[in-house]
Amino acid sequence: MSQVGTTAVPTPNYDDDIVRKFFGATVLWGAVGMLVGVIIALQIAWWPANLGLPWTTFGRLRPLHTNAVIFAFAGNICFTGIYYSMQRLLKVRMYSDLLSKLHFWGWQAIIVAAAITLPLGMTQSKEYAELIWPIDIAITLVWVIFGWNFFGTIAIRKVKHIYVAIWFYMSFVITIAVLHIVNSLVIPATLFRSYPIFAGLTDGLVQWWYGHNAVGFFLTTPFLGLMYYFLPRAANRPVYSYRLSIIHFWGLVFLYIWAGPHHLLYSALPDWAQTVGMVFSIVLLAPSWGGMLNGLLTLRGAWDRLRTDPILKFMVVAVSFYGMSTFEGPMMSIRAVNGLAHFTNWVIGHVHSGALGWVGMMSFGTLYWLVPKLWHRELAYPKMATQHFWLATIGIVLYTVSMWVAGLMEGLQWRAVNEAGQLANPIFLDTVTQLLPYYWIRVLGGTLYLTGMVLFIFNLLKTIKESGAAASGEAPTPVPAV
Amino acid sequence: MSKDTNRLMGHADEADGIEEYDNPLPDWWLGLFWLCILWAIGYGVHYHFIGNRSQEAEFQAEMAAAAIRWPVQGAEDVVFAMTDEAIQGGEGVYTTYCFVCHGTQLEGGIGQSFLDEVWLHGSAPEDVIRTITEGVPEKGMAPWGSILSAEQINQAAAYVLAKNAEALGIPLEEITQGSGEPEGSEGAHEEGSGEEAGEASGEHSEGGDPGTI
Repeated sequence: MSQVGTTAVPTPNYDDDIVRKFFGATVLWGAVGMLVGVIIALQIAWWPANLGLPWTTFGRLRPLHTNAVIFAFAGNICFTGIYYSMQRLLKVRMYSDLLSKLHFWGWQAIIVAAAITLPLGMTQSKEYAELIWPIDIAITLVWVIFGWNFFGTIAIRKVKHIYVAIWFYMSFVITIAVLHIVNSLVIPATLFRSYPIFAGLTDGLVQWWYGHNAVGFFLTTPFLGLMYYFLPRAANRPVYSYRLSIIHFWGLVFLYIWAGPHHLLYSALPDWAQTVGMVFSIVLLAPSWGGMLNGLLTLRGAWDRLRTDPILKFMVVAVSFYGMSTFEGPMMSIRAVNGLAHFTNWVIGHVHSGALGWVGMMSFGTLYWLVPKLWHRELAYPKMATQHFWLATIGIVLYTVSMWVAGLMEGLQWRAVNEAGQLANPIFLDTVTQLLPYYWIRVLGGTLYLTGMVLFIFNLLKTIKESGAAASGEAPTPVPAV
Repeated sequence: MSKDTNRLMGHADEADGIEEYDNPLPDWWLGLFWLCILWAIGYGVHYHFIGNRSQEAEFQAEMAAAAIRWPVQGAEDVVFAMTDEAIQGGEGVYTTYCFVCHGTQLEGGIGQSFLDEVWLHGSAPEDVIRTITEGVPEKGMAPWGSILSAEQINQAAAYVLAKNAEALGIPLEEITQGSGEPEGSEGAHEEGSGEEAGEASGEHSEGGDPGTI
């Protein structure tokens, strides 16, 4: 079992099998989630793609897409990176292999359950929390298993100092548990149906406290943790500022949790609560940019490698999109801007610049970096990684720019009045049909992004196949210590 | 960033070889953080305690400004004129705004049909104009006075009345003079509609049976 070490100090017996499992799940669910995304983008541009079947209509596939890319793709890449990096950062094998396995198989079973129930129309109708109560309970149990394993590993660590990546992982584990449990509090009526314990506006506020912090603590803090481990490893450079990492970590976790009400501006929510959501979102700009700065400045002295290293390309674009969308987010939470942007495609564009740009590109950088570490083999087609990078980048640009234009058109046309004080665009459908060209551009952007994913899978399978062929003959390539 | 020491923290052996610099916070970043915090406090205090702003007040102010700039169309502002131009224009208004509820062939749907003799809110031009302008909110008919111009309201009224007359085989002239009963159950267009042509339509609309509304 023990890994081949190159140094005199015995290398701890890390569990990389669980990392490979989560890696595989990331790739599989990522491809499925992105494919469903392209399908529903097509449905908006070309309605016959709904197929006329209840199970394949937009209303049911959209939550399948969001759950697949957030909880299946992003979730599994977080677990991949966490299981790989925390063992090495803490110099100890995971606390319990059994808990690791229960976590892995439990999480995948939840994803399968989601993929069955959502197309069947079983839903709690809460955005990003659609899954019905029995699955919610399963999520809670699996999360407790993960948390037990995670904190157990920290408890038995062989180092004193806890590296900043682990801090970000901790905020992920703790906060997601709190958010999920509170927002999923329901009274079951039948096996498939339940009623929330919160009513009306309170329910809305709890939902968006959950919804925005799912962005904050599922799609931001664990990915900053990945950035803090994999970016300096890939660039082979010291992290720019230890102090900045501490300040922006605490700033981020303190401020994020208050920002949810910005989803309910100009609603029945009391004005003071709207103000809280808005101003905390504005202040959030600084700690968010702290993360971006620490990532970009860590690359000082490694910028020349950006020309040749696709992993650094992915990571730099990821961090840049993080900075862009964490500027856009606070701006959109300003009352006046929100009045224009709310309910338009601008919001969808904003989400995807974060999701495709930050989350997706950071994931790909991490995955490419991990391939030789996990399979002891260089990529079969290194140039294909660069092609993947360009396909994904162009795809994101087409997606976000088309949705910016579409969103601004909608927002401006909905509020426009003619000289007689009448609505300039009284027929809502007119403001919809004019968006068709932009919807098609989005389909194209998403297809390019998905194509990049397909290239990655092809490359990965080829690499693993070669690795398997070589494994019988030669010892794994030692990974040079940085 | 000129203050950068690039001095290593020395944690690398406890962070899988990852070094960290002991660099200070970038000044402009720290300035941005303080600026955001001060702005947040200033905005909150100004919005709630100095400006005493609220979304309700914002709405009222916008409505008041709009009421001055664009006074809401009243039924009395609409002059009824049954002309060919009005009927033609009315077709455009109808196929833009009305057909969704009243049907592409005026056959009704969510709203009433214009092909029969039933006029729940009066068939006199004044009644039709009032119904269009003020709506029947309790039945889902929107008040179009704030959306359509006086001319468009007249056009819509002329169009549906003309189409109604055509469907029922009544001469158009009778419509222009106001032939309708405000209520359908008594059969406004029954055999007697011709004799009633000369009657003042206002009487009917004012005396409309409230029980059927």
